[in-house]
Amino acid sequence: MPDNKQRQESGDVARLLSYVALLAVSAGLFLEARTIPTSRFEVLGAGAFPILVHGTLIALLLGAIVGSVRKLPTQAYGRFFSHIGQWALSRRLVFVVFGCLAVYLFAMPVIGYPIATFAFLAVLQITFAPKTRKAIAIALVLSVIFSFGLNWLFAEVFNVFLPRGR
Amino acid sequence: MNDFLIGAAQVLAPTTLIMMFFGSFAGIIAAAIPGFTVTMAIVLTLPLTFTMEPLQGISLMLSVYVGGYTGGLISAALLGIPGTPSSVATTFDAFPMARKGEPGRALSLGVWASFFGTVISTIVLIFAAPPLAIFAVKLGPWEYFALIVFALTIVASLVGHSLQRGLIAAMIGLAISTVGTDPMMGRPRFDMGFEMLAAGLPFLVVLIGIFAISQLASEVEDVNAIKTGEKLVTGDVEFKTWAVMREVLMRPVNLVRSSLIGVAIGALPGAGGSIANLVAYDQAKRASDTPEAFGTGTPDGVIASEAGNSATAGGGLIPLIALGIPGSAVDAILMASLMVHGISVGPRLIMDNGDLVYGMFIAMAVSSLMMLFICIVSMRAFLRVAEVPKWVVVPIVLVCCVVGSFALNNRVSDLYLLGFIGLFGYALKSLDYPLAPLVLGVILGPIAETNLRRALMTDSDWNLFFTRPVSLMFLIAAALSVAWAVRGILKSRNDQKISKEPV
Repeated sequence: MPDNKQRQESGDVARLLSYVALLAVSAGLFLEARTIPTSRFEVLGAGAFPILVHGTLIALLLGAIVGSVRKLPTQAYGRFFSHIGQWALSRRLVFVVFGCLAVYLFAMPVIGYPIATFAFLAVLQITFAPKTRKAIAIALVLSVIFSFGLNWLFAEVFNVFLPRGR
Repeated sequence: MNDFLIGAAQVLAPTTLIMMFFGSFAGIIAAAIPGFTVTMAIVLTLPLTFTMEPLQGISLMLSVYVGGYTGGLISAALLGIPGTPSSVATTFDAFPMARKGEPGRALSLGVWASFFGTVISTIVLIFAAPPLAIFAVKLGPWEYFALIVFALTIVASLVGHSLQRGLIAAMIGLAISTVGTDPMMGRPRFDMGFEMLAAGLPFLVVLIGIFAISQLASEVEDVNAIKTGEKLVTGDVEFKTWAVMREVLMRPVNLVRSSLIGVAIGALPGAGGSIANLVAYDQAKRASDTPEAFGTGTPDGVIASEAGNSATAGGGLIPLIALGIPGSAVDAILMASLMVHGISVGPRLIMDNGDLVYGMFIAMAVSSLMMLFICIVSMRAFLRVAEVPKWVVVPIVLVCCVVGSFALNNRVSDLYLLGFIGLFGYALKSLDYPLAPLVLGVILGPIAETNLRRALMTDSDWNLFFTRPVSLMFLIAAALSVAWAVRGILKSRNDQKISKEPV
């Protein structure tokens, strides 16, 4: 199946890019760890363990990058960009989830847990649910229970106060 | 004998039994919700015990403890999300088994393994508490570091499709554990000037983000399936109580080995269920005739993980009862509840309060029976979760994860971390990085660093790691473990080559 092989190669290109990104981060942290001063009270300082970890990680990532570059044909890089669009389109609901989650998490400290959660649950459930009246009614009832209801339970029973907003 | 009878009378009093029943139930429910841990459930129970008799209070907390270690398996099996850190390995086989259409069997295996694990750990607790406790506290930082080196070799069993990516994931986990204040001197590291990174990345937030958020996002990848109201798990929701009990008992070696691993790791101060389930799983896989079946829904994997994590409950009580040293956060809370009642916890506990100690043994056994009873009676209701459509479960479990992450420290910044780590976890999962080694790295990183530095602060001689017998034993075990893993990889490569050659 050539299509499957091409997809596999696109996946390998994506992994190669992830190795490069991780290498850049790890190398940066390795250099920063070297600047952490050692203490007079111990042989190893606060930077020793991170140096050891990032040093090993860098070696592993370099090995992975060399292995991937040797394995991948040149055409795979060109095909990767056409496949990435299809991949993103097929996973559009995942992007909806992360988008809603980001808005929810940043809005919660401002508008408070109950309202933010109600809006988050209602929007997400109605987006995912089959478009029937029954499903929408269930979604709204569950949104109320897990927003205002859970907030009440935590405050009154457990004495834990979820974000109340500004 | 008199102390035993006094303890038994207090634990078996109707009011205590009723409280323990509700405690077990609450522990199971709390641990079944991703983001809520056994520790949180115990903390919430502590104020309720102030007005009770000491043994009554401790029995209630033990019932929450035992119930909590079992509850984590519910979301591990049905959602693929570990309900607590101690059920990470349960997801490896219980979830594939549930996805293959046997959610009832997966849960039932876990419940029975938990029950037998708790019973075995209670028996060990009764007979071996003093010698085991003395051994556990004699271990110095050299032995702890060597133990962690051995535990890190578990990565070989958790790597999934690629050893290389498994090792990279484990190193990412160790790297994540170095963010924030250094564990020895309190020096800030890698916080990039962000306040939310200054305290480090809380383990629970990392666990929820990496496992739960990424798993929930994967559930909505198939647009058509979710829009048509697809359920999380389809198939037989029969609990098959007695058939599965026989199935568990037919694997006595795995059951006893995993339980003893749980007891031993539970007895070590600082370790606990989060490590025990992974070590027990790893050892079961290595000892199996069919290691390739692990990760595809084999009963041995579920039994090893659940027996291992439940047995840490008894193991953790060993240093607490024998020496007054709490082995984990939960044991420290149990100790606090005794101290509130003016009971001095220390080596004289068993001599001065024999009835209390024997009562705790009985309470452990009763709690495991209650957990079993509750699970058998109510598991049908839990299994209904599997029948709820994804469009309901995914958003609601996401909210539970958010609430659990916030309630951990009451910090809004943990919510932002959860979002970022969730996105990072999903990216890694999509790129076929195994997530379990990463979590193992986050668990073991601080213990490894602290003990390495502590050992060299005590004596700068590196040779001590090899000249102290227990440390040497763990290092040899680690070397053998690596050799075994390399042999397995070479063997599977040879098998692949042979199967590819034309006949």
